[in-house]
Amino acid sequence: MKIRTAGLVAAILVSAGVADAPAQGFTPDRTIEFMVHSGPGAGNDVFARSVQGVLEKLKAVPQNIQVLNKTGGGGLVAMSYLAEKKADTHLVAVFTSIWFVNPQIRKQAKITMDDLTPIARLVLEPAVMAVRADSPFKTTKDFLDAAKQNPGKMKQSGGSLASRDNSYRFLLMKNTGADWQFISMKSGGERVAALLGGHVDMMIMEPAEALEQIRAGKVRVLATLMNKRLPSMPKVATLKEQGFDVPEVPQARGFVGPPAMPANVRAYWEGVFTKMYKSSEWQGFLKDNLYEDGFLIGPGLNKFVADYTATMRGILKEAGLKLVR
Amino acid sequence: MEVLAGLAQGFGIALEPMNLFWCFVGVFFGTVVGVLPGLGPSATVALLLPLTLQMNPTAGIIMMSGIYYGAKYGGSTTSILLNVPGESSSVVTCLDGFEMARKGRAGPALGIAAISSFIAGTVGVVLLMLIAPPIAEFALRFGPPEYFALMALGLSMVVLLAGRSMIKALLSMFAGLWLATIGIDLFTDIARYTFDRIELMDGVNFVVVAIGTFAVGEVLANLGARSSGQNFTVPKGLRNLMPNWQDMKDCRFAFFNGSLVGFFVGVLPGAGSTIASFVSYGIEKAVSRHPERFGTGAVEGVAAPEAANNSETGGALVPLLTLGIPGSGTTAILLAALILWGLKPGPLLIQDHPQMFWGLVASMYIGNLMLLVLNLPLVPVFAQILRLPGYVLYPVILGVSIVGVYSVDQRLMDVWLVGGFGLLGYAMRRLDYPSAPLILGLVLGDLMENAVRQSLMMSNGDISILYSRPLAATMLLFTAAILAGPMFRQFNSWRLKATEQEA
Repeated sequence: MKIRTAGLVAAILVSAGVADAPAQGFTPDRTIEFMVHSGPGAGNDVFARSVQGVLEKLKAVPQNIQVLNKTGGGGLVAMSYLAEKKADTHLVAVFTSIWFVNPQIRKQAKITMDDLTPIARLVLEPAVMAVRADSPFKTTKDFLDAAKQNPGKMKQSGGSLASRDNSYRFLLMKNTGADWQFISMKSGGERVAALLGGHVDMMIMEPAEALEQIRAGKVRVLATLMNKRLPSMPKVATLKEQGFDVPEVPQARGFVGPPAMPANVRAYWEGVFTKMYKSSEWQGFLKDNLYEDGFLIGPGLNKFVADYTATMRGILKEAGLKLVR
Repeated sequence: MEVLAGLAQGFGIALEPMNLFWCFVGVFFGTVVGVLPGLGPSATVALLLPLTLQMNPTAGIIMMSGIYYGAKYGGSTTSILLNVPGESSSVVTCLDGFEMARKGRAGPALGIAAISSFIAGTVGVVLLMLIAPPIAEFALRFGPPEYFALMALGLSMVVLLAGRSMIKALLSMFAGLWLATIGIDLFTDIARYTFDRIELMDGVNFVVVAIGTFAVGEVLANLGARSSGQNFTVPKGLRNLMPNWQDMKDCRFAFFNGSLVGFFVGVLPGAGSTIASFVSYGIEKAVSRHPERFGTGAVEGVAAPEAANNSETGGALVPLLTLGIPGSGTTAILLAALILWGLKPGPLLIQDHPQMFWGLVASMYIGNLMLLVLNLPLVPVFAQILRLPGYVLYPVILGVSIVGVYSVDQRLMDVWLVGGFGLLGYAMRRLDYPSAPLILGLVLGDLMENAVRQSLMMSNGDISILYSRPLAATMLLFTAAILAGPMFRQFNSWRLKATEQEA
């Protein structure tokens, strides 16, 4: 059994090109901490606890896992904390897109993703463009044409200026010359309520949210914002298929370790997440949440971190945010 | 008829021994975290989330909801006894609850809090059961302009929270509104008043300000008064430790008012139980025949906010269960739990999983009864805390306050801040500035600013959007009436004086 696990890890490492880093030599000997940058109950906290649940069920780690909430500064507190714990082998953190975004727009930030040790990307969160079911807009083009004819009159509910919702708005506005309002709202609940109540015209949703609203006949989806059609909505065309050449803005979640994590510790964690990724429990979690499988480790992940930072940089600049580094 | 059949089915599910057990576990833990300041229901529900993944979804949601409404029961305990608000929604309970304790009526205050929590909690479930879908549709009519009007109505409560001086109350409220602006602005992503401190980027935590100005300020004021030894009297005998018939009669309207206000505010996503408790307190004082008793230990002043924050739970479950929209931090976790259990929350949830919905509803009737039985016998026990002499009690209050604020986000900065707000609270007491308007401004400021800016973005800067929609206009008219009230009374007293002089 042990040989097989080691073989599996080795196989991944070979494919990742770091075959000389052995997985042996590190086993956790005390409680493991999963750090998240938000309070209990927020999306990434629930994500960390779900991963915790799956790993415990699989008995993939020999020690208990505890979720550690380090809130504040939109992730900056958590990033600093992780950077301070340089030699800690029992601490890993959930990264989300704001770990890439906030260090570029907040001068208070001292740490970027480049300082830390990415371990595994686990999920990609797809997005769709939705309107109310009784909306006059049947296609993306209908909405964009209306927004072009009445500049500043159409409204979209979303999160902050640095959110993906707003990134897509800027990319679409640049591509088509349309212009509409972005109404920031604090919680996801308020955003959906504003759409269902007809206070805004459009919203960028996650498929898990949208599917049930579609089934109840409350919402219509105009486009998939990913490069490929979603398995859960095979009939909904992508933006590209509808003639809008807008790049995909991925939203990723995964795990990252403290700076300069030893190769054998990183390999250990890669092994743990690989084992989880192959389990039916994890595949079930992805399916229930309608997440896209985003499993990526090794050099592929390093490349993703670099590319994603560059992509977000371009979009944020486009969106009119001041970059600080 | 359909409701009765559903309810019968629900009781069948909720009375299964395992579900009954998890319901008890939920309400018990809820009471405990409610009593402990700082640690709130959302943190507790999140902590237990991995555990519930192994459970059957109905048992899971029964337990997690139990924590949610159970915490509202416990929240009043430290408010009344120590002037330390256990949850944000029980700040208002401090105003009259602690005054009652000071007058030796801690027992009746705790008792009435439990009773009104029970009544309102039950009313909340009844309303959830009977009118959830239509009321959820109604709540969707609340867009940013309606939220702005609701917040304006909430802010107008300042005239009812004012002590002797309206100007001092307004100054206190504006200070609260300013505190609400600290942090990263949602709309422009610009940091306001953060002095480049990462800790301030998310704003000042409301619990820190409330515990600082209420509890720490109170302790400092008592040290200043140099009063030593026994400060509180605790009457002997169970009779004096329970609310009497007169108390119950005085609270009749408060039960009703709090239950309805709490439920309706709860249905609105993002509004929350703190606002519900302020509004119901304001209404109670406005309609009271002896408003002057409020703030000095009026039993209705405890009953109304406690009722409101308990029926809010039933209200908050409405958008979650009928639309799949979470309205508060705790319901957001319940939503995540429903997804993890594979239940697909959305508008069809009740239709797809009636046994879950009715099981939950029935369990909430049972849970509220359990909470009453659990909490009433604790009243005499808790009331004994006040027998402690001042030199023990005040350090205890300080300790509970510091641990409480630290446990919210585990940030040392908050401990420094609670000290700072304690000094502010002390100064306000000495200079006779009421601190409740400060809290009111802080709670509503953020929501109100967001609502007005969202509205103006929607209308491209046309201010008429704020008063041209009928619902918003109605609420603004009420606001105007409340604001005009004291002026009218002032005018009336001048008139009376003038007529007396003439006579």
